[in-house]
Amino acid sequence: MSSYPKPLPEVTPLTKPFWEASKRGELLLQRCKNCSTYIWYPRHICINCGSRELEWVKASGRGKVYSYTIVRQVIGNSPEFSKEIPFVVAEIELDEGVRICSNIVGVKPEDVSIGMPVEVFFEECTPEISLPKFKPAR
Amino acid sequence: MSGFRGIAAISGYAETPFSRARVDKGEPRLTAEEYYAWALELLLKQTGLEKKDLTGQGVGIIGSEWPHSEIWSAEAIQNLGLEPKLLVRADHGGANAAALLVQGVLAIHAGYVEHFLMLGADTPLSITGPASRTWRYDENYLKPFGTMGPNSLIAMAMRRYMNDYGAKPEHFGTISVVQRKHATLNPNAYLKAPLTMEDYLNSRLISDPLRLLDICIWVNGGFAILLSSASAAKRITDKPVSILGFGEWHNPNAGQPAHDITTTGVKIAAEQAYKMAGITQRDVSLFQPYDDYTVAVLMQIEDAGFCKKGEAGRFVEENDISYQGQLPINTGGGQLSAGQAGMAGGFLHFVEAARQLRGEAGQRQVKDARIGLVTSLGCVGFEGHFINNYAVVLGGEV
Repeated sequence: MSSYPKPLPEVTPLTKPFWEASKRGELLLQRCKNCSTYIWYPRHICINCGSRELEWVKASGRGKVYSYTIVRQVIGNSPEFSKEIPFVVAEIELDEGVRICSNIVGVKPEDVSIGMPVEVFFEECTPEISLPKFKPAR
Repeated sequence: MSGFRGIAAISGYAETPFSRARVDKGEPRLTAEEYYAWALELLLKQTGLEKKDLTGQGVGIIGSEWPHSEIWSAEAIQNLGLEPKLLVRADHGGANAAALLVQGVLAIHAGYVEHFLMLGADTPLSITGPASRTWRYDENYLKPFGTMGPNSLIAMAMRRYMNDYGAKPEHFGTISVVQRKHATLNPNAYLKAPLTMEDYLNSRLISDPLRLLDICIWVNGGFAILLSSASAAKRITDKPVSILGFGEWHNPNAGQPAHDITTTGVKIAAEQAYKMAGITQRDVSLFQPYDDYTVAVLMQIEDAGFCKKGEAGRFVEENDISYQGQLPINTGGGQLSAGQAGMAGGFLHFVEAARQLRGEAGQRQVKDARIGLVTSLGCVGFEGHFINNYAVVLGGEV
C-alpha cells in the first residue's frame, strides 16, 4: 500500500485508460463517437446525445483559468492539505471546451488570474496514480 | 377521480440483461450508474426519441441498496446528462416503480409534463466498495486536488461573478449584514448579535474570495408544513397561504461540457412560476431566496428578474432589502444567520414566507405583504453550478 496521505481517485474499468495515460504524461478526454462532444468528468454515456460509444482521445493539455480560489482553511478534506495552505484550486477550461478541476502551481497564488494560459503536467503520487496539475504556459 | 382514466400511457420500455456479477463465469460486474446509462440508451433506441426530447420533461428515479446516497437523483441526472423540469425520487422499496408511476401520472394529468421517465437500476450483488458510492465526482475528480466541499466550488463561482460583473465584497457583505439585522428580530434565529459591514470585511477568508460570513451556519432543527386543498385549508385557518405558482428546472445546460456558473436554473423556474401565478416580479412583496452563500442570493435576485444579469450588486446598493424596504429579502435572517438545519434548510424560506403572508412576523413584519417568492437551490454540481432549481409563488389571498 502506498503511504500517500491525501485522497486519491479510485481506478475503475471506466477510468483505467485515463490513469494509465497520466503515468505516461498524457492527458486524455472522453469524446463521443456519435456527436464528437468532449466530456470531463468521465461518464458512461454521452451527456449531449445519449450514445454509449465514447472513446478516450489525447487532449492538448492546454487551456485557460476559468475561475479559481485560494484555499485558506481545510474543511471536509484531508488535514494533510493544511501543510500546503494557501494553495490554488482552479477550474481550467481546456482548449477542447471542457472544464477540469485541478491546482495551479509554479506561480504565487496572488499572481493567478482568470484567463491565464496554463498547461498540464503530472505529479506522481503512487505507482498507479499521477494527478494532472497545471502551471503557467510557456 | 375517474378523470385519471387513460390520461397516461407507457410509450416505451427498456431492460438490460441481468448478471450476478460472477466475473469468474464471464458475467459483467457493472455499477448502478452503468445500468442507468445502458437502460437510457436502450429506451432512446426503442422509442426513436432523441435525448433532447426529454429535456424539460419529468424524471423519477429510485434509491439504491447502497445506503450512502444523499441527493442521489441530482447526481444521477448529472451523470446521464438529463435536463428535466420535474425530478422526483422514490424510496418505496419493492413498490418503487409503482410509486414513481403514480407521481408521473399526476404530473402528466396536471399538464405539468408530457413525458415522465422512470429510471430504476440497482446492483445488490456488488454494493460494497467505492464503485457503488454516490458523490464520486467529488471523491474522484475534486477532492484529490484539495477542494473543500461546496465552499471551494462556490468560491470559484463567486470569483467568476466578481470578474464578469465587477461585484465588490461590500455587495456580498450587504446580504450578510441585512439578513443578520433580520435575525436580531427573529427569536428562533441562532445568530442574533448585530453585524456591521466592518465585521463582514474583517471576517476571515475561508476559500478566497469566500469569507466566513458568506457561508450559512449549520444548526439542528426541524420543520413541518401542511398542504391542503383550498377548501380543506379554509376549514383549518382563516389565513390560508395559497400556492399560486411554481416552477423548477434541473441540471441546466446538461449537454454542454462547460456551464455558465454565474446563472442559476431559477431563471427558468421563476419564469414558469410567474406565468402559472399570473404575476410578474413587480408584484412580489417579499423574497426568500436560498442562501447557503451570499453570492447565491445575488444570483437569484437577477435570475428571478428583479434586475439584469450582473446588476444585483448595484441593486442591493441602491435598494433597501430589509423588511422595511422595496424588496425585503430573507426576512427571518435566512440560513446565513437563523441557521441551516442540514438537508431541511430549505424549509426555512417557506415557513418564513407563510409567517409573513399571515401577518405573524412580529417586529420584522413586512407591511402589506401580499405575494411571496421562495426560490430553492440544491446540489452543487461538478463545475459549481446548482443542479436543482425551484421557484414558488405564495399569496395570502386568491
